Amino acid sequence: MRSGWGPGTGRRDVLKLGLGAGALAAMPALSHRAWAAGGADDATLIAAAKAEGGLNTIALPPDWANYGEIIKTYQDKYGIPISNASPDASSAQELQAIRSLKGQRRGPDVVDVGPSFALIGAGEGLFQPYKVSVWDTIPDDMKDAGGLWYGDYFGIVSLGVNTSAVKNPPKSWADLKKPDYKGMIALNGSPLGAAAAFAGVFAASLGNGGSLDDIGPGIQFFAELAKSGNFTPVAATAASITSGQTPIVINWDYLNLAQAQKTKGMLKIDVVIPEGAPPFGNYYCQAISKYAPHPEAAKLWQEFFYSDQGQILLLKGFAHPARFADMVSRNVIPADVMAALPPAEPYKNVKFPDSEQTKKAQKTLAEQWSKLVKS
Amino acid sequence: MVETGQVLTAATARPAPWQLSAAGRRARAATVATALFVGPFLLYVTAFLVLPALRLLTQAFSGAKGGVTLQYVAELAEPQVLHAFANSILLSAFSALVGLIVGGLTAYFAMGPNAPRGLRSFVTTFSAVAANFAGVPLAFAFIATLGSLGMITVWLKQWGIDIYAAGFSLYSLSGMVLVYAYFQIPLMLIVIAPALEGLRREWREAAENLGASAGDYWRHVGLPILLPSLLSAYILLFGNAFSAYATPYALTSGSLALVPIEISNVLSGNVMLAPQTGAALSIGMIVVMVVVMALYAVIARRVNRWGRR
Amino acid sequence: MSAGRRRAWGGGIPFLIVVGLYFAVPLIATGLFSLWEGGSRYGPAAYIAVVQQAPLWASLFLSFRLALETILVGLVILVPAVFWMHLRTPRLKPVFDFISVLPFVVPPVVLVAGMTALYTGPDWLVSTPNYLVIPYVILALPYTYRALDVGLRALDVRTLTEAAQNLGAGWGMLVFRVVIPNLTTALIGAALLTIAIVMGEFTFANILLFNTFAVYINYIGGTAATQAAALTLLSFVITWLAMTGVLLTGRGQVQIGGAR
Repeated sequence: MRSGWGPGTGRRDVLKLGLGAGALAAMPALSHRAWAAGGADDATLIAAAKAEGGLNTIALPPDWANYGEIIKTYQDKYGIPISNASPDASSAQELQAIRSLKGQRRGPDVVDVGPSFALIGAGEGLFQPYKVSVWDTIPDDMKDAGGLWYGDYFGIVSLGVNTSAVKNPPKSWADLKKPDYKGMIALNGSPLGAAAAFAGVFAASLGNGGSLDDIGPGIQFFAELAKSGNFTPVAATAASITSGQTPIVINWDYLNLAQAQKTKGMLKIDVVIPEGAPPFGNYYCQAISKYAPHPEAAKLWQEFFYSDQGQILLLKGFAHPARFADMVSRNVIPADVMAALPPAEPYKNVKFPDSEQTKKAQKTLAEQWSKLVKS
Repeated sequence: MVETGQVLTAATARPAPWQLSAAGRRARAATVATALFVGPFLLYVTAFLVLPALRLLTQAFSGAKGGVTLQYVAELAEPQVLHAFANSILLSAFSALVGLIVGGLTAYFAMGPNAPRGLRSFVTTFSAVAANFAGVPLAFAFIATLGSLGMITVWLKQWGIDIYAAGFSLYSLSGMVLVYAYFQIPLMLIVIAPALEGLRREWREAAENLGASAGDYWRHVGLPILLPSLLSAYILLFGNAFSAYATPYALTSGSLALVPIEISNVLSGNVMLAPQTGAALSIGMIVVMVVVMALYAVIARRVNRWGRR
Repeated sequence: MSAGRRRAWGGGIPFLIVVGLYFAVPLIATGLFSLWEGGSRYGPAAYIAVVQQAPLWASLFLSFRLALETILVGLVILVPAVFWMHLRTPRLKPVFDFISVLPFVVPPVVLVAGMTALYTGPDWLVSTPNYLVIPYVILALPYTYRALDVGLRALDVRTLTEAAQNLGAGWGMLVFRVVIPNLTTALIGAALLTIAIVMGEFTFANILLFNTFAVYINYIGGTAATQAAALTLLSFVITWLAMTGVLLTGRGQVQIGGAR
């Protein structure tokens, strides 16, 4: 049925359209509403969300970017129980969960996936659009113009060092080549399968003359480390850094910092941002599932997540929230939270790779990694 | 059989029983009985294994924008993929062999007719538990023991022996075989136990009465009888190692190229999503298994002489 | 005779000791780490922390319950089929063999995707963890099939069947009173292997958002280091107890070698 500004349109049609638009704006709980005017405190949204009775989240480990506290605060503030399943699911598994649990009440409402997966999910029609009330303060290069996905937090690559096992921690990429660190350096998985490991290779590339368009020097760097025996292929875990099996772990800053905080009584972990090299950072993306069983609660979650309160909770987990620049300029971040973060210098100039650069780097890695990096 | 034949043919509706010969009745009864015994199994497997897996075929040959393409299957010929397949096959074959021999011997000593009863239960239970002890915990345990900074490595260094300098690496193919043995040996123990029980003591006694030594007994009686079961167990161990993913990933993050890790990276990872590549790799794995099964069928037929009764 | 027996047994001891060490040392290493509390302090803090987590026990019981259900469904489907194949239709063996290795080469993610796309199933099944039993039977198939195959091969099924039927046994009595008691070791082996597989299965439960034991272990492994090691050893002990239970239940039925 084609309606539109055709020759037959008269005053009555305009009136009808106007009434329709007015009705639309007035009806509160419509699922295609663009945003909630009141943000995280919007009463109508809260009421609608509470009526749904719950929220299903997936793949949110409690000590990843302080998700534990974020989930708890949401539950306490709104009285909506959150069922957080499969904290260890990968981004690919999250998308598969949306597909597999389509139409079930147990399906995930919101997901937190890497940027390539956000694009894939959007392309497959797995997400529904939603723009939070503070949409404009999210940087453009971190969101989808149509509101299907939006970056939530970013981090840069750091070195987590177990100071009991490593007497003088390395300070730069070049330091890692020293023979003192034999058998000590590890990534948290395969660069083709783990996002932080992929970022680690990219960061090494930036620190050795490469660029966002060229991951080659990073592969070369790790090939040298592997040949000299400094690099161990073990997939680093909380257990392996704490036990000293992999005393130097290249991982996201927020993960290394959270691990350092957790082991405070037992051992001291230093988190080092390599000096003298442009930092490599990347972000994760929030999205609402198209088949979300609790869409209003999901929208409230996003509003809460992107509110100042939610973003500061992310900062407490050492992850830089998407609206970091905006919040700094408005001076709303508590001083003690800022003090616990690493120095601000490296974060000012972080550039994220776009999807073309990412795909090119993935291709180069797939071709060269197993050929060159042999331990 | 006559009894069963009468019961079953009375129930069928087509050519009336008196119109079938006795042989026809028996044949009809046989097919119905086969359907009854084997049918549920085949139905179940078709519904929940074969049909879902058929997507692999469609995905491996469909292009990114629809249409049929051989591009992804052709990628299987690339050197790093072939290298991964070679590694996987070698690792599976050797770790299965280690499991077969060490597991077989352990089963004989610990669960044979001469072993004390308590030891047998202990070994069976331990095997059941150890067969599952794979993945990250196993990797952690071995890195803590034999990793480059592991307990035993450091202890040996104090005695002047540096195993890593001598060429050993836990993260190489031989190191992986050592780690895989931890779940291959127990698996072998559990699977071969009934076959060992089937070796009757009377045969051993008869052989000894006829003057055979232990070696003769095994060479002419024991092993030939066990061989079909040993082969069957070997296939299981091979498949078990071939599909193992969590242990090698935790140990090497895929730096030792193995097919299950490549598949997991593209289907279930955090960096990229490439369903067609994953499907093509899986088809490659199926082809390898088909070849292995064909070899097995050929060998089994020659070895099954003793089984045909 | 007894001298021969002692000879055969004595030769095994050094070999068994080496094998025993191979299996014990990595466990000891894990144990040492699980008792570490920082610096040079050692104590049971990790164990206490782990044991107090209610979700741990919930996930453990869930996995164990799923394991028992999988054993039931798996054996009901598989025992008649393998028995009949050995007895009457050995030509089906290549088909069985191939099917039994398929679960090794189909990635779990593909299986989940395929199953959930094909069967949106009755809601009462699909939204409960019991839904997992269906793919778990498939995942355990290679192991249970081989165990039964080896077990049946060791029996002389044809002679047993003929003898039983000559004595007037029907199919029911044949299967339940003659064949199955002779298969005890193989059945126990199949059951033990199924439990091992179900307790360790991760991918299906993770994607379908069920909180099984393996999902929980993975989650702890990523967060608290010493607790992960403690949990590993704890699950070792718990599984041991479960396996012993299965073993004793099975052994109670018939004396090993009793049919002879």
